Amino acid sequence: MAEATKKDMPTETAENMVTLTINGRETTVPKGTTVLQAAKELGVHIPTFCWHPKLKPVGACRMCYVEVEKMPKLQVSCALEVMDGMVVHTDSDTVKQGRKAIIEFILLNHPLDCPTCDKGGECDLQNLTFAHGVDDSRFEFQKYRFVDEGMTTTFDDRRIGPEIILNRNRCILCYKCVRANKEAFGEYDLGVYERGSIAEINAAPGEQVDNPFSGNLVEICPVGALTNSDWRYKIRVWLTSTTPSICNYTSSGINTLFFKENHHNKIYRVTSRPSDDIDDGWLPDVTRYGYQIVNSPDRLTTPLVKKEGKQVEATWEEALEIIGKRFGEIKERLGGVCVGALVSPGLDNASLHAASRLMRVGFKSNNIDFRGDYRYLPESSESPFMRLCSRPFKIADIDDSDVIVTFGSDLIREHANEYLRIRKAFNFGNARIFAVNPYQTKSADVSSLELVYLPGTEESVVNGICLAAIEDNLVDAKRGEKFKLKTPTKSSAEAAKVSGVDRESLRTVAEALAEGKKITFFTGEIITRSRQRDLIASALINLHRLFGLKGRAQMSALARYANSKGAEKLGLLPNPRTVVVDKLRGLWGEYPESPARNTDAMMALIKKEEIKGFLILGSNPVMLYPDREFVKEGIEKLDFLVVADLFETETTELADVVLPLASWAEYEGYYVNLEGRTQKAARAVKPIGQAKPGYEIASLIGEALDPEMFQNEQQIHSEVRQLLELDSVIAYPDDFLEVKADTDGSQGDYNLPLYIIDDWHHSGHLTEKAPSLANFASEPYIEIPPQLASELKIAHGDSVRVESEVGKVILPARISEHTQNNVVLVPRNFSSSNVTSLLMRKKRVDRVKISKVDE
Amino acid sequence: MNEVLKAVGNIFLKMPKGFVVTFKHLFKKPITLDYPRKKNPMTARYRGKHYLERYDDGTERCVCCGLCAAACPADAIYMEPEENEKGERRAKMYEINLLRCIFCGFCEEACPEEAIFLGQVYEFSEDNRNSFIVGKDDMLVPHPRKDNPLKRIYRRVRRVYGVTDKSK
Ligand code: SF4
Ligand code: SF4
Ligand code: SF4
Ligand code: FES
Repeated sequence: MAEATKKDMPTETAENMVTLTINGRETTVPKGTTVLQAAKELGVHIPTFCWHPKLKPVGACRMCYVEVEKMPKLQVSCALEVMDGMVVHTDSDTVKQGRKAIIEFILLNHPLDCPTCDKGGECDLQNLTFAHGVDDSRFEFQKYRFVDEGMTTTFDDRRIGPEIILNRNRCILCYKCVRANKEAFGEYDLGVYERGSIAEINAAPGEQVDNPFSGNLVEICPVGALTNSDWRYKIRVWLTSTTPSICNYTSSGINTLFFKENHHNKIYRVTSRPSDDIDDGWLPDVTRYGYQIVNSPDRLTTPLVKKEGKQVEATWEEALEIIGKRFGEIKERLGGVCVGALVSPGLDNASLHAASRLMRVGFKSNNIDFRGDYRYLPESSESPFMRLCSRPFKIADIDDSDVIVTFGSDLIREHANEYLRIRKAFNFGNARIFAVNPYQTKSADVSSLELVYLPGTEESVVNGICLAAIEDNLVDAKRGEKFKLKTPTKSSAEAAKVSGVDRESLRTVAEALAEGKKITFFTGEIITRSRQRDLIASALINLHRLFGLKGRAQMSALARYANSKGAEKLGLLPNPRTVVVDKLRGLWGEYPESPARNTDAMMALIKKEEIKGFLILGSNPVMLYPDREFVKEGIEKLDFLVVADLFETETTELADVVLPLASWAEYEGYYVNLEGRTQKAARAVKPIGQAKPGYEIASLIGEALDPEMFQNEQQIHSEVRQLLELDSVIAYPDDFLEVKADTDGSQGDYNLPLYIIDDWHHSGHLTEKAPSLANFASEPYIEIPPQLASELKIAHGDSVRVESEVGKVILPARISEHTQNNVVLVPRNFSSSNVTSLLMRKKRVDRVKISKVDE
Repeated sequence: MNEVLKAVGNIFLKMPKGFVVTFKHLFKKPITLDYPRKKNPMTARYRGKHYLERYDDGTERCVCCGLCAAACPADAIYMEPEENEKGERRAKMYEINLLRCIFCGFCEEACPEEAIFLGQVYEFSEDNRNSFIVGKDDMLVPHPRKDNPLKRIYRRVRRVYGVTDKSK
């Protein structure tokens, strides 16, 4: 049943139930259900155009006619609520006649475009005309045509965004696109203009339809009025077959469907595979168009081996022989501890596990990590932050939460799917929603209150909320006393002063947390990337304890990548939890005792030439790890570097052996989403060239080192299954934790905070290779708040010099739409931006100064 | 003896009669054709090698909709669409495998744009199989063409606006 109406419905008690008859069958449904849904539940099909399960009904198309006894005319079932004793007929002659008439009306002005239309073959109008319509037209006049300058009556497609193409003549004015855009995505770049027979859908004047969810409009349009360049004139839908998969760019594990063609071994598009628990059938654009990298002509197809300073193509045998020899040498000479590995959290469980086994059994080394773009990582897997990460979280529970707090998260850019959920709670529920961020974000439009704190004062905000609650007696006084013992901050006023958030706001949040019955509280990338993530997590754990949130709240630090959670569970950390270590020891019969190093430590040791051999699976630390120069210098000193990736990247350039890695669409893999749900991505196409999946690569390298190391797929999978069965939740400690506000040392004249973000349409380091996503943004930029821009006389598109203590880059400016306070944002997705060279490994908040470059 | 006389009689009496028939044919129009030099005209609706039509202004009629390929019982047609200069749909690649084709004419019947027709050409001989795969270049009629066979073919009058021709 549609969530839309379910939400407003009272619980299913007897007096709230209504009994009606549909086509002679009696059914009992809750009050407020529409006739259409009641029929659907009975398995009675009613044709529709404008109805969408996740949107409020409008009754625009009138295709869903039914006959209700005692009602004089045909009724639109999608907007008609059930009443007791209703007798409904969905297939009577009157209904059939009505449907016929509606189809005939819709077709009056509809062009006969089917041969050229991209929707041909999966068009609702085609199908319903075939099923219910007449095969001739009685309309004797010229059809109404929208013809702009430069168009002809037979060709009138117009681009209304980087990807979206509109053909107004085909539009049947069901308003689904406009409604979804407003209701589900909160975007206003598309609207209806004019009225009557010349009413048209169009982009808002002077605007482009370029929101990060715009691809959905194409999918829900029942006809071919909205199409996109991704699918434009590529292939007929009946020639493709589908493979279920999941998104590899977001951590939600959004369910998708690949449309592929087997003769060409090629994927043609991605559509949603609606799952009410995860995505409601909406895909962010990065999920929809990101598959294009799989087909990219730039993919690595053969292994490359460095010979006399140049990388030349080689066979797998050659490459593996070199790898076996060189790694063997290092292991022999210096011991396995001088080898490290970095794996991408976008890889599937089997690949991650095989890599872990390669390091721990093959090299007897604990130098392995999956967090290639975070600095200052916690050493222990039971640190407060890791505890926070391990907490259970359910995406679907956001819907009926009554208090939602997002903390340190530029929501749409990192957790687009959760943003849509929160928007749904905002539309249909009565949640109090708080966004707590160091700068204003777009998600503020679904918040009842936005708290903007000074960059780097997260723990003061949390302490402020707690202290405000204690001061105003919103929580148990005894607990309050205990809390105060551990917190040097004296009063909420003090915290307010430090954090720059006014006390009233802190109190409002405290009140909501104290009253809330079902609370969702999560932190995002701004917290995860912060050097003080443990401190902030401690503050949050204290808050959890103080407010007694146990049992009435889900509070977690959300994972960011497709399989971050899986990596965590499988022990891809230098120090996995004891249960995992014990399990691994049981499985392998051994577990290395050597010192464990995380990404930070490994990078430092590489620079000190203590780690001599390094294996990278799917990561690009040179581009993404903070302080590019530092990493690069280190990696250049390595004796032997093996990198497996989909493309040639900044990191593969430095490698001795480059191996072609298969993408997630090219092999069957299992991924754990941020809820801990394991999902399968089936194999859609054959791996390109000689590319191999990660687990095979890890297994082959193991075999090259020691022939006994080889494991086949089944063995890996069975080990993975056993590991995933372990309970991964780490309990909170029994007492309040010490939280001392930390100040971020001054950085001289560099005082403008800089945050690294993902572009609206990108994620990670590979999506710039997808042409459709590059249509939205292909160049790096720096987002500057408007008043700062006017102070510095910077206009949109001007070149801006961005300097930090360690680096300098020049980027074109963009004036920020949402951010008002003094913070600049730079996307990390473009390899040409070089932005990581501005960052320092040891800083809590990166600060820069910017100036306009005078031509 | 009788037999001999009969045979001789036949030679002089019956054979000339036969030769007269033969002789008469010497002066008649032959019914066989001097084939490679001369060719028999086919009936208007003969189903030979396909050709692709154009609009009067030279635009290809085929929009690469794929319906012919869907209708083809022999799976002989393969195509890939692309955008033309104006952004309209047309075939980047349009191939028919004449070895697979059974010349049923379903493609012609399925075509909503009246783009493909089975023509009069019936001579197929090549020394390798690949040459039987004919592409768009082989099938498109030249532009401008003098004689438009479309005009000879009965065309359904379309009441619907804007479909019959592009020239304006
Ligand atoms: S463009 Fe498509 S979705 Fe939008 S109103 Fe028209 S037919 Fe409906
Ligand atoms: S004539 Fe028949 S067999 Fe030949 S291409 Fe056309 S549809 Fe296929
Ligand atoms: S020949 Fe006709 S049916 Fe075949 S693709 Fe072209 S337009 Fe479509
Ligand atoms: S589906 Fe009911 S009016 Fe459109």
